[in-house]
Amino acid sequence: MAASTAAEAPAQPTREAHPVLLRLVNDQELTDRLLAPLWTPSPVWKILFAVTGVGTLVLAGAVSYTVATGIGVWGNNIPVAWAYAIINFVWWIGIGHAGTFISAFLLLFQQRWRASINRVAEAMTLFALMNAALFPLLHLGRPWFFYWLIPYPSTMGVWPQFRSALPWDAAAVTAYFIVSLLFWYLGLLPDLASARDRAPGRLRRRIYGVFALGWRGAGRHWHQYQTAYVLLAGLATPLVISVHSIVSLDFSIAQLPGWHSTIFPPYFVVGAIYSGFAMVLVLIIPIRRVFGLGDLITARHLDNMAKLLLAMAWLLIYSYIVEIFIAWYSGDPYERYVHLLFRPSGSYAWLYWVMLFANVGVPQIFWISRARISAPVLFGAGILILLGMWLERFIIIVTSLSHDFLPSSWALYAPTWVDWCILGGSVSFFGLLFLLFLRFVPFISINELKQLTHELRRGSA
Amino acid sequence: MPALFPRSSNTLIRAVLGVGVIAAVGVPALLMVWVRTPPVTGQHDAPRQPVEFSHQLHVKGFRIDCRYCHSTVERTASAGMPSSQTCIPCHNQVWRTGPLFAPVRRSLASGQPIPWVRVNRLPDFVFFNHAIHVSKGVGCETCHGRVDQMARVQQAAPLTMGWCLDCHRNPEPRLRPVSQMTTMGYRPPSLQAQLDEQLARTYHVQRLVTCTACHR
Amino acid sequence: MTDDWPGFEEFPAEAELPPDGMSRRRFVQLLGASLALAGLGACMERPRERILPYVTSPPDVEPGTAEWYATSMTLGGYGIGLLVKSREGRPIKIEGNPDHPASLGAAGIYQQASLLQLYDPQRSKRLRQDRKPSDWQSFVSQFAPASLRGRVGQRGEGLHFLLEPTASPLLASLLGRLRDLYPNVSVHLYAPLAYSGQRTAAVTAFGAALMPLYDVRQADVILAVDSDFLGSGPFHLRYARDFAERRRPSSPDGSMSRLYAIEPVPSVTGTSADHRLRARAGDLEGILGAIAAQVILGPSGGPEGLPDAMAAVLDRYRRDERNPGWVPEIARDLAAAGHRSAVVVGESLPPRVHLLGHLVNLALGNIGTTIRYVKRPLIEPETGHDGLATLVEAMQAGAVHTLVMLDANPAYTAPAGLDFRRALGRVGETVSLGLFEDETGRLSQWHLPLAHYLESWDDCRAYDGTAGLVQPLIAPLYGGKTVAQVLGAFLGEGDWSSHDLVRAQWSGHWGKADAPERWNEAVQRGIVSDTAFSPLTPLPRWNDIAAALGPRLNQGAGGMELVFQADPCVYDGRFANNAWLQELPDPMTKLAWDNAALVSPATARRLRVETGDELRLRQGGQQLTIAALVHPGMADEVLGLRLGYGRGSGDESLAEGVGVNAYPLRMSETSYSSPGVTIDATGAHHQLARTQTHWGLEGRPIALHTTLAHYREQPNFAREERGSPLSLYRGPPLGSGDQWAMTIDLSACTGCSACVVACQAENNIPVVGKEGVLRSREMHWLRIDRYFTGDAEDPQVISQPMLCQHCEKAPCEYVCPVEATVHSPDGLNEMVYNRCVGTRFCSNNCPYKVRRFNWFDYNAELAETERMAKNPEVTIRARGVMEKCTFCVQRIRQAQIAAGLEGRELHDGEVRTACQQACPSQAIVFGSLTHPNAEVVRRRAEPRSYTVLHELGTEPRVRYLARLTNPNPALQRERDGG
Repeated sequence: MAASTAAEAPAQPTREAHPVLLRLVNDQELTDRLLAPLWTPSPVWKILFAVTGVGTLVLAGAVSYTVATGIGVWGNNIPVAWAYAIINFVWWIGIGHAGTFISAFLLLFQQRWRASINRVAEAMTLFALMNAALFPLLHLGRPWFFYWLIPYPSTMGVWPQFRSALPWDAAAVTAYFIVSLLFWYLGLLPDLASARDRAPGRLRRRIYGVFALGWRGAGRHWHQYQTAYVLLAGLATPLVISVHSIVSLDFSIAQLPGWHSTIFPPYFVVGAIYSGFAMVLVLIIPIRRVFGLGDLITARHLDNMAKLLLAMAWLLIYSYIVEIFIAWYSGDPYERYVHLLFRPSGSYAWLYWVMLFANVGVPQIFWISRARISAPVLFGAGILILLGMWLERFIIIVTSLSHDFLPSSWALYAPTWVDWCILGGSVSFFGLLFLLFLRFVPFISINELKQLTHELRRGSA
Repeated sequence: MPALFPRSSNTLIRAVLGVGVIAAVGVPALLMVWVRTPPVTGQHDAPRQPVEFSHQLHVKGFRIDCRYCHSTVERTASAGMPSSQTCIPCHNQVWRTGPLFAPVRRSLASGQPIPWVRVNRLPDFVFFNHAIHVSKGVGCETCHGRVDQMARVQQAAPLTMGWCLDCHRNPEPRLRPVSQMTTMGYRPPSLQAQLDEQLARTYHVQRLVTCTACHR
Repeated sequence: MTDDWPGFEEFPAEAELPPDGMSRRRFVQLLGASLALAGLGACMERPRERILPYVTSPPDVEPGTAEWYATSMTLGGYGIGLLVKSREGRPIKIEGNPDHPASLGAAGIYQQASLLQLYDPQRSKRLRQDRKPSDWQSFVSQFAPASLRGRVGQRGEGLHFLLEPTASPLLASLLGRLRDLYPNVSVHLYAPLAYSGQRTAAVTAFGAALMPLYDVRQADVILAVDSDFLGSGPFHLRYARDFAERRRPSSPDGSMSRLYAIEPVPSVTGTSADHRLRARAGDLEGILGAIAAQVILGPSGGPEGLPDAMAAVLDRYRRDERNPGWVPEIARDLAAAGHRSAVVVGESLPPRVHLLGHLVNLALGNIGTTIRYVKRPLIEPETGHDGLATLVEAMQAGAVHTLVMLDANPAYTAPAGLDFRRALGRVGETVSLGLFEDETGRLSQWHLPLAHYLESWDDCRAYDGTAGLVQPLIAPLYGGKTVAQVLGAFLGEGDWSSHDLVRAQWSGHWGKADAPERWNEAVQRGIVSDTAFSPLTPLPRWNDIAAALGPRLNQGAGGMELVFQADPCVYDGRFANNAWLQELPDPMTKLAWDNAALVSPATARRLRVETGDELRLRQGGQQLTIAALVHPGMADEVLGLRLGYGRGSGDESLAEGVGVNAYPLRMSETSYSSPGVTIDATGAHHQLARTQTHWGLEGRPIALHTTLAHYREQPNFAREERGSPLSLYRGPPLGSGDQWAMTIDLSACTGCSACVVACQAENNIPVVGKEGVLRSREMHWLRIDRYFTGDAEDPQVISQPMLCQHCEKAPCEYVCPVEATVHSPDGLNEMVYNRCVGTRFCSNNCPYKVRRFNWFDYNAELAETERMAKNPEVTIRARGVMEKCTFCVQRIRQAQIAAGLEGRELHDGEVRTACQQACPSQAIVFGSLTHPNAEVVRRRAEPRSYTVLHELGTEPRVRYLARLTNPNPALQRERDGG
């Protein structure tokens, strides 16, 4: 909860600073505008689709090569037995947090401005999770036995070990994915219905019709819809906290210097939401531009997002400080070596400092109010923070492993071309999914915007 | 505007959803059942052998003890497969000619071994030792079944790890006096319970469930 | 279906029943079958596996049970007794023969790894003449006296043999008979590492080729002058064993011997010494001379009746001001120890140094206490035979018609100066017998495959004269012949089997009377009883010694000095095709799959080079480029080269192109060191694969070490590092039965790495090649960590065998999501390969980083024969699973089953791990804590026992005994001061 309250704090006083919507359009017009992209493909979209498509094929290639040959094709070694796969996993999971946070948290805290961006955020969550789910599977030495992590009555008469974090990991991620999917789909229903009603051509109308599950906008529908929506929101909210807490246990239950730390769960959750917001910004700013949605995604949204970023940044900075302080205070020579010596001055020091710049330095620009509403600044900051958060995971995993207890077994890690292909490929895959989303699904919640306009009218009247 | 969907589509979509839910639960369940069935475990699998040797005839008919052919069962990990020579002491008296015995004669003549087909196969990471099981009062029958009733010998047990563990976790009920080791259709005397414990004590039988007992 | 993974398939058919007898054809059949199965294995279709029983059961072979046979392996002319384990007629593990004086049950890396050589798929497989295949019969008829005389003359003028110096009685008599048959035959004995200094010196000093044998148990002070008597050489297993007995005091009031080592290049012996003193090879004579002078002349100017000539010589040594400061101190210490001291001079050093060694030992009265002289059993150049140089002369003169090269590879090992290859062109007909068709084999008209010693009957002599028999465990896989058989062919006995020859030899020796019994006994024990040489009393010829020593040559010339040494892993190159030995890290540099030019940090600074920079070395018109390796402890201005690499142009493709061939740079066929090499950096860089790259202890409690003196003051210095620290975490429940544990004594460990190879052989550990090592993916379950302490230029070295510590509270266990690594009731940390899915979480959480991961399917490309070397009692690990030391659980379980069948408990010492078994210095002890009198229990109770990283609370079952050194207080002060 630390995350949410802190996130609220800066948002409160400036509530009236910028209007949530620049102008209040009527429902008809709103619907037509927001559904238009579904009927009219743009050349830009086609190009991007081709690019990300190729990237996805690269991913497929690299993955099949890995599965066929063995993960020896990666750079991993002993001591650095975990590397890119786990870094990417944690990174994507983290990004996946913002969606539910925005939808669920902000819904429960009745942040009305969320209406314009929650659908994008939720979709982003799903796609991020789909990417994340790829990696734990892929990084197994024998992926075809992944199901041994699932508790089921096997002919071997043995069960998974529940003291390990990994089976819980699998459970948490799956649960999170399912809930997020339902939440997203439920929110979509009314808009799918509108799409069905407006779609040109019978085929499309039938397709949208099937997914609209016969939504007719009857009072009963709306009533049950509201109940279910709030219910799911309530269900999703604790998951936002639990998932990355459990992911953090993958590290903190180990006794490795740099991993064995009680602050990890909250620290990871904060980091996750932080990177998630960054990703949301990186996505909505181009959308806003391309589809000319300046009046729906307004300075208010940018300003709020920027403030949230700043708040998260400071929570993260706090975690960094505590981590390093405890390392020093504990007097544990191994912790001290990793935190005070190897990370800041060792072989990977330059990555460490880039990370600090991106995660700690960059967001400070949001103390300036003009920066908070400048799309380019926000976009750039978002990119840098995403990079920074990826590096954070690299630092945590690789530096701790490469220089642990016995100097005799110290060794460095270097990625191979396969590692890079998989990383790049997964980003493309994410982009591909997101493009499909923009093309075939109403990517801004029409019905919620309508509600919002109505409320605002009532408010102004 | 004509209706987009016929009335029936409501039922249809409900049905589809229902099936989906059932499949989500049912398919894994079915899989779990399936892997326990003979086609997968190979239980009751009785491959055709190069020699139509009938255990039924030799064990039940002639009362030949298992150890006459599987001679190392009490001493070594493997029970031991009989050499072609082993048949001769009896078969130069009886049945020396005849098509059934021909492969053995050929083997003896050519010096080429008889290519028996393995019936009870354990994976290579399982290190099973006949001698120790036998000496602890586990009879042949316990794992190999009523060989005396098998015209063509077949895999009696599923040979899954779970099956091994059933006994390793609770060996007592499966024990018998070593003297009864090769007996087929062994009937424990009444008061089995006491006998179990007594046997377990005399043979120092342990509940051996540590992994390296079998996996090394 | 886990059980259907091809990776696990290992001779399924054979696992049930053996191939009958030892026929090669049968092996290949079975392999065919098993390979086919491996293919089948992958599909869901249950593979129809065949069982091939015997047609008629052979006696005393029981399916699935191992047989042990005694045999010997000859290396460097001398034999080492072995026991070889055989399963279904194929040898699978080589261990030492406890009855053999040179082994006492231990086995070195070469002996153990020779197993892989037997199964090497690149061995030469066919007898050929020129390009076309031929056979033994036509070879015999071609070279039988009848036909050969016509070509080489009645008296054999044009007939030349080239073979290694050997102590084999059989070869001795065969060569003798050859000389009777061909009075003018010339036999050349040559091995690139066979040095003659010792013999020459002995002949000068005593008028006879005597050889010192050391009893280091008796010695309180030992001075090793560039002698690696603990780490290499034909008797090192025995010496290491004896030495260790005086190095591990069981209590603080125990005593220790003191070892000084003076050497240019760090060696196993040097790093085990209390004082390792760096000196250029050229300076050794001066230094030992000065020590001799101090010891003999003393303050009083020498004993009565010391010949003036000798006194003069010694005085010259004494007055040399170039001698290091520590000389007097060592002399004083030796003198103080009196007849309980020993000076050991390196085989490779020139006669003058050996003479000085003899002098000191005589003067101190060591003969009879720490040293006994026996007659040198080798047939070598000085015994009326010629070396390589004379052969090459004859060849160039065109005087050689028939050259027979028996198990020698001069085309590779000869120095470029001799230009053996060109000379070979002028020889009428050339015959080569070799395990591989190597550089020499390729160049010769006739090539014959040599029978591996595990395929042949033969005999040998140990360093102390004890004769041993070599008996085959398997019929020659490729119809190879022994050296004796080929010599036999020249004697017209081409139809004799190697068995006939050996049998005849020894029957002749014993006399017909009791031959059969003695023969059977010898075959069974592997050694011929009471054949050891009896000690002789040397009669020093003072004047000859003095004459030989003076006029003294000026001390070692200036400039960079080259030192050529046998590689600690591939020896002289004959093992270069052996994957185990290529992957075995050099005990000193931890370099694998390569050799390099070792230089001291100071010299490196002067040359402005770093590790990996390529150097161009020029000497005597020859040059080569090789990567530099900066190695603390090297003497300054010395450049150490390991021989045996840079093989090529032969069949040994594994060895081809690995490292650089340093032989051409040698001045003479067996030169050890030579001054005046010119060096410049090429600017190129070469990647060296080392298994360890950090050498400091970082002040962490990992390899504890202290001096004997300090140990006596504070016996409990290690108290803080053992016992169970406070913990909330309850470990897994332990059973009531045996509780397995191990102790490793760092005082006894020399770092020789025999245990590493033993582990590799016992546990089917794959090799990963240079790329694998560069990515730090080596698979060794047991590795030897090496740490430097003290002076960065000239550090103390600690070798620490590191293996799974079998923690009672194992960090690896609770993080595994599938319980693939769990704790056994008898205290083992079990690794269940077939349950492992490969998350590698266990490795991350292992503080000792002893877990290994199968990054690829390392067993996929194994040749048919290589698969035969696998131990059928250990699972072949599939791709993607973790593996690690299991405390040789297969041995434990088998012993338990054996005991169970006899209805008894295990007794102490019944289970020995492979590493323990191989360890020459008995540093590793394994046993159950429930046996009150077990050695492991006693050692754990010693005050200096501790556990690594104790404060982590892992409570390892492996305890180390802190390394103790016994430095000379005076020099110690000097070192601390400076």
